[in-house]
Amino acid sequence: MTTTIVLQQAINGVVLGSLYVLVALGLTLIYGVLVQINFAHADFVTLGAFAAYFLMHLVGAGYIVSIGFAFVVGAVLGWLINASIFTPLRRKGNELLPLIATIGVSVMMQNLMLAWFGPIPYAFETKYSSEVIRFAGIFVSWQNVIIIAVSSVTIALLYAFMKFTFLGKALRAVSQDRETAGLMGINPNQLIMLTFIIASALAGMAGAMLAPVLVLTPFAGTSVIVKAFAIVIIGGFGNVEGTILAGLIVGLVESYTTQYLDPGLIDIVVFGLLLLMLAIKPTGLISERREENV
Amino acid sequence: MNTGFRALFVGVAAISLLTIGHAAHAQDKTIKIGALFPMSGPGSYFGAQDKQGVELALEQLNKNGVNGYKFAVQYEDSSCGPLPATQAAKRLIEQFKPDVIIGEECSDATLAVMPIVDQAKVPLLNAGSSSIKVTEPGNPWTFRIMPNEVMQGINLADNAYKRLNARNAVLLFENTNAGIGNAQVFKDTFTKLGGKVLAEIGFGRDVNDFTSIATRVAGLGKIDVIPTYTLEGQGLKITQALAQAGVTKGGGGDAIQIGTIWLPFGFEQKAGKAALGYIRIVQFDPTETRDAVKNFSTAFKAKYNADPTHLNAHAYDQIMLIADVVKRGGKDAQSIRDGLAATKNYSGVTGSVEFDKTNQNTKMDTVHYMETKPDMSWTSLKWN
Amino acid sequence: MLAVLAIITLPLIFNDTYWRTNLTICAINVLLALGLDFILGYAGQLNLGHSAFYGLGAYVSTLLIVKLGVPFWGAFAAGVAFSGLAGMFLSLFAVRLRGHYLAIASLGFAVIIYQILLNWISLTQGPLGIYGISPPPPIAIGGTVLVDFRNLTAFFYLVSAFTLLVYLLLDQLVRSPVGETLTAIREDEVSAASLGINGAAWKVFAFGVGAAIGGAAGCFYASFVGTLVPDAFFVTEAFNILAMVIVGGMGTLIGPVFGAILLTLLPEVLRGIGDLRLVVYGAALTFVVLFMPGGLAQAARIVRDKLGFGGQTS
Repeated sequence: MTTTIVLQQAINGVVLGSLYVLVALGLTLIYGVLVQINFAHADFVTLGAFAAYFLMHLVGAGYIVSIGFAFVVGAVLGWLINASIFTPLRRKGNELLPLIATIGVSVMMQNLMLAWFGPIPYAFETKYSSEVIRFAGIFVSWQNVIIIAVSSVTIALLYAFMKFTFLGKALRAVSQDRETAGLMGINPNQLIMLTFIIASALAGMAGAMLAPVLVLTPFAGTSVIVKAFAIVIIGGFGNVEGTILAGLIVGLVESYTTQYLDPGLIDIVVFGLLLLMLAIKPTGLISERREENV
Repeated sequence: MNTGFRALFVGVAAISLLTIGHAAHAQDKTIKIGALFPMSGPGSYFGAQDKQGVELALEQLNKNGVNGYKFAVQYEDSSCGPLPATQAAKRLIEQFKPDVIIGEECSDATLAVMPIVDQAKVPLLNAGSSSIKVTEPGNPWTFRIMPNEVMQGINLADNAYKRLNARNAVLLFENTNAGIGNAQVFKDTFTKLGGKVLAEIGFGRDVNDFTSIATRVAGLGKIDVIPTYTLEGQGLKITQALAQAGVTKGGGGDAIQIGTIWLPFGFEQKAGKAALGYIRIVQFDPTETRDAVKNFSTAFKAKYNADPTHLNAHAYDQIMLIADVVKRGGKDAQSIRDGLAATKNYSGVTGSVEFDKTNQNTKMDTVHYMETKPDMSWTSLKWN
Repeated sequence: MLAVLAIITLPLIFNDTYWRTNLTICAINVLLALGLDFILGYAGQLNLGHSAFYGLGAYVSTLLIVKLGVPFWGAFAAGVAFSGLAGMFLSLFAVRLRGHYLAIASLGFAVIIYQILLNWISLTQGPLGIYGISPPPPIAIGGTVLVDFRNLTAFFYLVSAFTLLVYLLLDQLVRSPVGETLTAIREDEVSAASLGINGAAWKVFAFGVGAAIGGAAGCFYASFVGTLVPDAFFVTEAFNILAMVIVGGMGTLIGPVFGAILLTLLPEVLRGIGDLRLVVYGAALTFVVLFMPGGLAQAARIVRDKLGFGGQTS
């Protein structure tokens, strides 16, 4: 019986972790290239979820198509926010201002969604969320299988993109040393825009996949975002492999804390880990960046 | 000098005319009702529905008025939290000067507002907060028509033990005043009767995925009942997760989920088969055959094109009860307060109302039990 | 001087409890903003978790009063001291971290403090809340009550007086060599080190002072609202305080005052427009940042210059 529980919670942890990774990846990409924290990221996730919901319920599209739709919505949103807020602010050089601007955007988005969609939780059901696979005393819903599958594919694609394509390498170059990258003929601004679009698209897609799991209200994104930040740090700012590892670890920590301690302690454990990480190795689990010593 | 006298004359005449005019208008008397509801933030879910119930009642009442009085309502957003609620209450009292106030929904907000209405000497009629602290200390100015957590909890535990023969329970609750309080009452009563509580699992309002919790519950062995105290959003997830884990009837297991008031009619449609066999207390039973209930449901559906929930029903009852007090002679804060206290066997859509000396409504027919059938409809279990 | 006059007359103009409550909350928020600005704007430390110090001050003082019967001002001092120490602790921990790492560490700290306040129910009552907290005891001489703090106006005077005092003290501090030291550290820590300035020690100092001020605000908050629940100190509160500092004008002392007043009153004033008021609030925040990064302080300076008042630049 106990092995079953341990195994089951491991699976639960991996599913949770994959979801967190999807959200965190966007953040880490943006940070890596922009050295900026986008507080409105959570709301991109929420909006992605709603976009998927409405496509399914108003137009009758299938679930997988809706995920793609949310991806596109996220991309558009990313483009918008970067063009209207980050680009003009970058010229001013202050690193705090864009952060505050994103807080403002976040408040606006949440309340616009509240005005449009209302506060009553939406029930996002797909035919996958109620179907469960059972084997050897363990259960996994089809929804969760999809989550793991789509996440893995996305992450693999992203990883390959970063490591093997020119654009990907350019992105990493810009995140490591913007000036030198500029000297090598890479246009940082275009790259930054591209990054933003990818990151926000990921967020939107994450939202669509999270929708059946989350309590779908305009505040849905905020429940994941703080943990996503923790994951970004534990994994190492701007580091894709680190984020993946950290996300999975956090997911597992969550499910095991629920099993053996108390769900109320999850945040304390996760953030305790965060602070521990910062005390011992602030650059994160896996870091490529040179530490900014001077 | 002449101009002076003329001015004075005109002035006096004007004032007299105004006063006479005003006296003529005084026939059109209004009872001012202040409404403290959460309209923003996560609790706005409640406020929106409360408003619907209130508007329906007002529409019906103001057609002919009661005893020559019409009713006017002013809404203030109390956001389900103590500070915004105190702000909203003060603003309401200062600027609108109500004769009576209805609200809030969340226990924390209600408790914060109580000293204010006490000082302002305006009666507060509550129908949404379950914490025992609202009435236990005995406030002359606060009334509650909803059964409190102690009444419900004892009744639920009692019924679980005796009618369902439950001996093992696992408590699931949100970490708020209401969640913790309710769970505690159940535990105390159940263990006193001889039952065992295998685990008490509390979780924050930001938890979304209950698979881990459901897994933990599944590992606890034989469970008879799972009292669940949470709001609709999380409640939905819990029910589905428990079914997926094969714990509850909806998932092929044996345990029965039981719970209280926060899951409205329509929950089953959202939860699907996972909700099979769920037994819970609700504040409003739309399947009741009483005329009052049928008329209310019909009128509500006609106006809003939806079935009424307990939130709508509560708000409706609050206004209607006030109207009843006015019929019995209430016309200002003090007399309305006294009228409320003297209420005997008032019949509302959520049940009857009669207040004990702590101004708590003790009529148990406000506690309705429902069970979810295989076809996702409710049966009303006539346990009270 | 103008400030003193304003403070004295405001409650008399707004003579209803609703607006007086707003004024008092403004004063508390000014206190919070000043504390954060000292850490952020003057010492250049990216602190995203100021809500932690706010909450610690509130809970420590209240628990001492409610559970141990400590007299109000003693508990107040204890709350302030505890928050100050917490600030120094965070700073010591984070002394090696820079920029965004520090930001997230402070955020993590705030989340942990919030979770402790929420979950350690046997100590803090958690979500059950603490009710019926009394205002400070009245000032009386030999039986005759001079000032009763249950009176809103009196309470407002108390908080504003304290805030004004803090403002004046900070002003002195900033103009003194301490201020120069902090500026040096903020602008270029390495060069400052070469001048023999111990950056770490000063950062800890700044954090301690800022946190202590935040703790004082917390103590006032608790006795003002009378009800204490952890939700008031959720991390979003830290963002609100940050917004006040930025919108008001970081790195100035008058900035936080403007910012706190504007961002406290704006949602209240906008209540009339109902559902969309918070949208407007968010939009206002975004636009200020986009178009006026120096905040209201910068705007005030521009206006003053345009009107020809000239004088010293602050």
